[in-house]
Amino acid sequence: MVNEPGKTPDTMDKKGITRRKFILGTILVAIAGALGSLFSLLKVLAPSKKGSGYVSTISPGDVLVYATGSKIGMEIKASSMNAGDAELVYPKGKSSNPANLVQVIKLSEQDFKAPTNVQLTDKGFVAYSAICTHLGCTVSWVKNQNSPDASYTECFCHNSIFNPSRGDLVEGGPAPIPLAQIGVRVNNDDTLSFTSDFTGPIGPQV
Amino acid sequence: MFKWFDERLELKKFKEKFLSKTFPTHPTFLIGEIALFSFITLVVTGIFLGLLYEPSTKMVSLFGAMVPAAYASVVRIDLLPMGMLIRRIHHWSAMIMIAAILAHLMRVYFTSAYRNPREINWFVGLGLFGISLFAAFTGYLLPYSNFSVTATSIGYYIAKSVPWIGNWISTLLFAGDFPSNATVPRFFFLHVMFIPFLLVSLIVLHMVILVKQKHTEPAVNRTKKESQNGKRLIGIPIWPEQAIISIAFYFFLLFVIVLIATYIPLNPIESYGPPAAGTPVMRPDWYFLIVYGFLKLIPGDLSFSIFGGKITPETIGGVIFPTFLILVFALIPLLDRAKQPQHYISNPLHRPFMTALGITGGVFLTMLIVSGYIDVLKIAPKTMILYVVLATAAAGAVSYSLLRVYNRNKNGGKNV
Repeated sequence: MVNEPGKTPDTMDKKGITRRKFILGTILVAIAGALGSLFSLLKVLAPSKKGSGYVSTISPGDVLVYATGSKIGMEIKASSMNAGDAELVYPKGKSSNPANLVQVIKLSEQDFKAPTNVQLTDKGFVAYSAICTHLGCTVSWVKNQNSPDASYTECFCHNSIFNPSRGDLVEGGPAPIPLAQIGVRVNNDDTLSFTSDFTGPIGPQV
Repeated sequence: MFKWFDERLELKKFKEKFLSKTFPTHPTFLIGEIALFSFITLVVTGIFLGLLYEPSTKMVSLFGAMVPAAYASVVRIDLLPMGMLIRRIHHWSAMIMIAAILAHLMRVYFTSAYRNPREINWFVGLGLFGISLFAAFTGYLLPYSNFSVTATSIGYYIAKSVPWIGNWISTLLFAGDFPSNATVPRFFFLHVMFIPFLLVSLIVLHMVILVKQKHTEPAVNRTKKESQNGKRLIGIPIWPEQAIISIAFYFFLLFVIVLIATYIPLNPIESYGPPAAGTPVMRPDWYFLIVYGFLKLIPGDLSFSIFGGKITPETIGGVIFPTFLILVFALIPLLDRAKQPQHYISNPLHRPFMTALGITGGVFLTMLIVSGYIDVLKIAPKTMILYVVLATAAAGAVSYSLLRVYNRNKNGGKNV
């Protein structure tokens, strides 16, 4: 190649593969290759373990034990609860799975209205999942001292309100669906046990 | 000794070239420094906390109770002489840093300092704001109290609610499902290494661009220059004037933060306790109240599918809404353009539309913060939505008409 004044060898011939284009191409291919090879790292950083969401391991016959408070882990006695009371409970021996957290509520028997499944209640005891269907906080019990049957369940994270006498229907706030009901029974020895699985989906509905 | 260094580093040349750079003066130009200085305090206190913290959820014995190691290590930090104070200074500095970033952003917006040629630094600043929020969020989890786990869990489900790629994003960010043992180590690394690295890089970029482009000047400098036929920036040099102001200002800020941290408790993990079945009554720190309030207002039955991606109320409140806010902020310098480079800050009173827009946005976001308290105020979500809309519309209409009237009177009836 002959160097003409004002022109470098690269710019002399615009057609075909010039040295500049070749070097640029090589750099781009190298960058793309290097970045592409790093993509596999993303897979490693995000474990593909399925089973996301809440999967309960409660089976019928499991005895209810306290999940909070000073009596944590002890069997709950039916006679210790009056109308308008509620407790957070776990099935005995299965407290490591947060999906098993349940709120058991004592109301007056005549209070239950549709869509509560009355077959799954016993002597005024009704149980629902305690994991808010909005974003997974544990729901709390707001007791009405004057009229116990007007007490309700509320999630204090974003103030979703559930009506326990009407199948925990959402009565306010952002929760998309009711808390699922689960069957509960009073045993002869005054303990409580589960009689069914959850009637619907539990945990955040995202 | 100075001579020894000067011979090797050419300090005198450095002083002439860099330390003599001029900074225009205006009280509001110090707001950005509050953010920077809070960050320095965060780094220093963070190093102290990081040396004593244990990023693990392994169960250990603390005063006879079995608690996660992370929680136990933070309780031990609290029991050290000054330990709790350092932790509170760290947390309060974070609150003040984000407040200062927002105030700085407002100052730049209302004085229109984001216009040509400073658009790039506006974007860098927005990046700093977003990453600071991310730093705060990853910090929530580290003490592994009941509050930490609940707050992080909410963030986890919001990440999961991203349409199409939510599961992948949440597992990548939280190292699998939450709660799991892998999340704390990952958040620890993000919080103490990765995010500070990003922040420092962007802060340096922010500063380099600032020095290269020079700071905007108060409008009075224009008339001053015309009378003096001068072209150079009017202000004070970095060394010694600006540096002395900054040093004094830093220690004053530190004094205020320590004072607040001494008397106002923050995140008392001992009262929340380790993770347990019950959820404490809690609210996030103030800057997340905007999203928190928005989440409370959206009706729960507002969900639908689009191209196989599920849009839930959480997607709208936690993903789409914040993304929309960031986009709006990013669009400002692209829509309000100036052909010629602007080097003087403008008086917000002379820009009715932009100022009214800023006030409207501010009122809207403030009303969302108020929405975070509807349970305390005993307002139904639907009523609150009405209040938010009314207040926002009223703020826009009132501020815009008042500014128009002000400008009309000032210009002798001429429309501007």
